[in-house]
Amino acid sequence: MILRTRGVSLAYGSESVLRDVSVGVDRGEVLAVIGPSGVGKTTLLGLLSLAVAPDRGTVELDGTDAWAAGESERLALRRRVGMVFQEASLFDASVARNVSYGLRVRRSWPERVRDGLRSLVGSPDAEAVDSAVREALDVVGLGDSLDRHAGSLSGGEARRVSFARALAYDPDVFLLDEPTSDLDPRNTAVVEDAVRRASQRGIGVVVASHDMHQAERVADRVAVMLDDGIAEVGPTERVFADPDDERTRKFVSGELVY
Amino acid sequence: MSPGPVAALGALLLQFPFDPVYLRSIVRVSLYVSCVAVALSTAVSVPFALLVAFTDFPGKRLLTSVVNTGMGFPSVVVGLVVLFAVSNQGPLGPLDLVFTTEAMIVSQFVLAAPPITAISLAAVSAVDDGVRDAARALGGTRLDVALVTVTEARYGIATAVLAGFGRAISEVGSVLIVGGNIVGSDGVSRTRTLTTAIQLEARQGRYETALLLGAVLVCLVLLVNAAVVRFGGGRVRR
Ligand SMILES: Nc1ncnc2c1ncn2[C@@H]1O[C@H](COP(=O)(O)OP(=O)(O)O)[C@@H](O)[C@H]1O
Ligand SMILES: [Mg+2]
Repeated sequence: MILRTRGVSLAYGSESVLRDVSVGVDRGEVLAVIGPSGVGKTTLLGLLSLAVAPDRGTVELDGTDAWAAGESERLALRRRVGMVFQEASLFDASVARNVSYGLRVRRSWPERVRDGLRSLVGSPDAEAVDSAVREALDVVGLGDSLDRHAGSLSGGEARRVSFARALAYDPDVFLLDEPTSDLDPRNTAVVEDAVRRASQRGIGVVVASHDMHQAERVADRVAVMLDDGIAEVGPTERVFADPDDERTRKFVSGELVY
Repeated sequence: MSPGPVAALGALLLQFPFDPVYLRSIVRVSLYVSCVAVALSTAVSVPFALLVAFTDFPGKRLLTSVVNTGMGFPSVVVGLVVLFAVSNQGPLGPLDLVFTTEAMIVSQFVLAAPPITAISLAAVSAVDDGVRDAARALGGTRLDVALVTVTEARYGIATAVLAGFGRAISEVGSVLIVGGNIVGSDGVSRTRTLTTAIQLEARQGRYETALLLGAVLVCLVLLVNAAVVRFGGGRVRR
């Protein structure tokens, strides 16, 4: 497993959201985390992205316990994870600058200052755009939108740019929070296709979704979250066709209404 | 509006009642003192605004209310306090700053910092949390997140800088007290600014000259505003 939690618990104040959760993703695998809204999927992704420390348990990337590591080592670990939030939250800048952000923060300060000065004097020319930025935008079908301003994008385009933003720096693991909620079928297809392509390149992908059909379309395995833990994890087809857990069976058959 | 004053001013401009060296030196002192003071205030105020907006520390509430009070602080009082601070008995006495541009910079720094801080604080607080989270999730350090926040708040911060500059360059009370309105025997301003020159001309009954200096001051403020707006907003296509 490239990224996993072991027995993590997390509470907001006195409200326990995750209790003793162990789940992980392999390289080249798509894991869907499904469950009703409010169950804690976003919270789990927050832990997996190494942004939030668990109250108990460990989060390990490639065998390294992130919260036992020092600050700079944790930064290095964090930088191998790409997290795409449910909201696009683009920077007030061009599409190219949005997508190159992850690459820029990974450069040395002298380089960054030099680039910053250069873009102050001249207009940023097309050559200067990294090929990784172009490729990432091509994957989400926005290869010709480099120079557009983030504010001029449609909702679906903005979400695709926020996806490309994390693709550009080639993380080992991808975490996507409800990647296609509010998207039309065409945008949904683009994003799901990009998810498959990422996993084919050996990236481990975790998709949090309340949409069971999406899980069936993209996931190799599913983890079903109910209450404050994972009710069942297994190969997608098996979990949907023949769940072990009674609550899972009710959830996937739609009997369990939250 | 009657054309009288405008025509008078035009005639005055033609006969130009100033030694150009004198006028230029006044403008230079005004700009130098205000620009340095505003640059220093900005360098202190923006990081301070970030700190107040995004961290918790003891005394934060007290500090915020000091800043808010500072916005309405009378400039003559600031001038008096700075004059005392740089006088022989004061804590900055050994630096020998009485009636220098440095002392004027200190007092204008004190005057410009509160509005710059308060407006910057409002601007950085308004930055979407999602954008800050994204910067961090994309591999940003704490410094990177701070830089993103400032970049997102750039129009508001530009407004803050302009407000600070406006307060500094148009202020007369404190620069008069700590600077002393001095012109050297060579006719070159040492600590005379546009505002102190205006009040001197007005007191001596030379209203037209005062008015003309006033026009120069207004033009300067407009120019600086235009420059900041251009710099802060010109590079981004919306
Ligand atoms: N920052 C927070 N502070 C307090 N409670 C929160 C916070 N974030 C989420 N919660 C609560 O935790 C629970 C799980 O939320 P979340 O992880 O967003 O669920 P999901 O993504 O599955 O919809 C919800 O009950 C939510 O109200
Ligand atoms: Mg959620």
